[in-house]
Amino acid sequence: MSSRSRRLGRVNWPGLLTLALLAGAWEATVRWSLLDYQYLPAPSAIARGARTLLASGELIPNVLHTLMVTLIGWSIASVIGIGLGLLLGLSPTAYRYSMTSFEVTKAIPPITFVPATLLIFGFSLRMELVIVVYVGVWPVLINTIGGVRGVPGELLDLGRMLHMSSWTRVRKLIVPAAVPEILVGLRLGLTLCLVLAVVAEMVGNPAGLGHALVRAQQALQPEKMFAYVLSAGVLGITLNALFRSAASWMLPPPAGGPEGGTP
Amino acid sequence: MQASDQPITQDAPTADRTEPQAQVKRKVTFQCRNLTVELGSSEGATCICRSVNFDVREGEFISIMGRSGSGKTTLLRILGGLLAPTPDSSVRYYGERVEGPPPGVITVFQNYAASLLPWRTVEKNVALGLEGKVGREEARERVADALAMVGLGKRAKDYPWRLSGGMQQRVQLARALAMRPSVLLMDEPFGALDAMTKTSLQDELLQVYERTGATVVFVTHDIDEALYLSDRVLVLQGDPSTIGESLPVHCSRPRHQIETKQSEGFLALRRKVYEAIMQRHE
Repeated sequence: MSSRSRRLGRVNWPGLLTLALLAGAWEATVRWSLLDYQYLPAPSAIARGARTLLASGELIPNVLHTLMVTLIGWSIASVIGIGLGLLLGLSPTAYRYSMTSFEVTKAIPPITFVPATLLIFGFSLRMELVIVVYVGVWPVLINTIGGVRGVPGELLDLGRMLHMSSWTRVRKLIVPAAVPEILVGLRLGLTLCLVLAVVAEMVGNPAGLGHALVRAQQALQPEKMFAYVLSAGVLGITLNALFRSAASWMLPPPAGGPEGGTP
Repeated sequence: MQASDQPITQDAPTADRTEPQAQVKRKVTFQCRNLTVELGSSEGATCICRSVNFDVREGEFISIMGRSGSGKTTLLRILGGLLAPTPDSSVRYYGERVEGPPPGVITVFQNYAASLLPWRTVEKNVALGLEGKVGREEARERVADALAMVGLGKRAKDYPWRLSGGMQQRVQLARALAMRPSVLLMDEPFGALDAMTKTSLQDELLQVYERTGATVVFVTHDIDEALYLSDRVLVLQGDPSTIGESLPVHCSRPRHQIETKQSEGFLALRRKVYEAIMQRHE
């Protein structure tokens, strides 16, 4: 089978059909005034709104801003999360001293820090990045610690039996064994980074999709507002799909987690 | 059940005199004296073995048997230097106190799935212990030899998870053989395999044993397997356990799955081992 036809075969056609039917139902209920709200546009109106935004050059820069902040924040968060996670996973002392602080901090919903960050850093890109990095660190950190500490005893015995140095054990046994769990953390982190980037743009940094969305709302332009909402969704799906294909390229199938369906 | 206060300490050397192949007294590979093991838990230490005494001689194939929980695996981990006994115990490998895994001693674990690296191909799994220790050319040669010895030469580039359970355990054996070990410690290596695979792996192991001359300490709960493979069977008894019996197996080598297992000597021993395992210390 050619790669093209295989890819077509993997598309979930019944799933897409359901989605199309739902959109059709939305269109119909709004057109026939079954749902009659002044600011609820039909999908066709949203599509028109999106086209206007594309033509006026408002959509792409906003998407790019959110994309850029998400990716930069996520990269920084991943480096911190993996580094700190390896340290805490490998050193029982570091683990014992820091876990209480982490448990307490982790219990606070990250979104509650948004106003505080705004107060400290003001309406700025820095404020947005701080929030995005903060929220992205957690899943990576926790999964890295879990992955490292969950390495089967057989592998640790194996390393000792083969007289490996501790560095070799970390490099050849522990880290590779933890990779699948670390990847799960990275993927969760990516999703959270996008969400908090949009939130930070809504209340703090006046840029990107979140800011544009709120501005459209305040200007009473629901078609544009929903166009931004959908753009954020498309951005999320795209990032997730890219991450999955990168991860499956990195890992042989069994360690790559359960068989994924199409998004 | 109450533990016996006076542990039975039948010593290995007495058994050795009756061993048919040991015309010349062979060197002592492992010497365990007054071996006591306590495993700690949150409720304090539990004594697993007490005053265990036995020797393993060079080139010997010895099996350790006993009920589950009698400390078979624990004993093997101690020989492999992966677990420390109480300080007054003495475990020596060629006269040297065992502190950490001794050189030339390789363990084959029961759980092959957890001890093979899924991100490495079969040949790279086998090469793991050689990396950085021998040259590239030699490593390649040793890996090829080891894989040929277990009949997996053609699967070298495959990933272990694409192989059957029996083949995966062969990969683990090949990884051990590539190290050119003087002692193989095997912890119920065929316990998770079906009967057919098990018997063919037993025969392969015996061939490997003949060819390499390695000393083998084999833990199993299968009496037939222990007798079929070994020169001597140690039976752990009691709680905490100690060596209750040390039974030499006088069946000639090479052995045969049907003939050996139906011979009178084998059947008599089978009964003896069974009784020894089932015996309770009141």
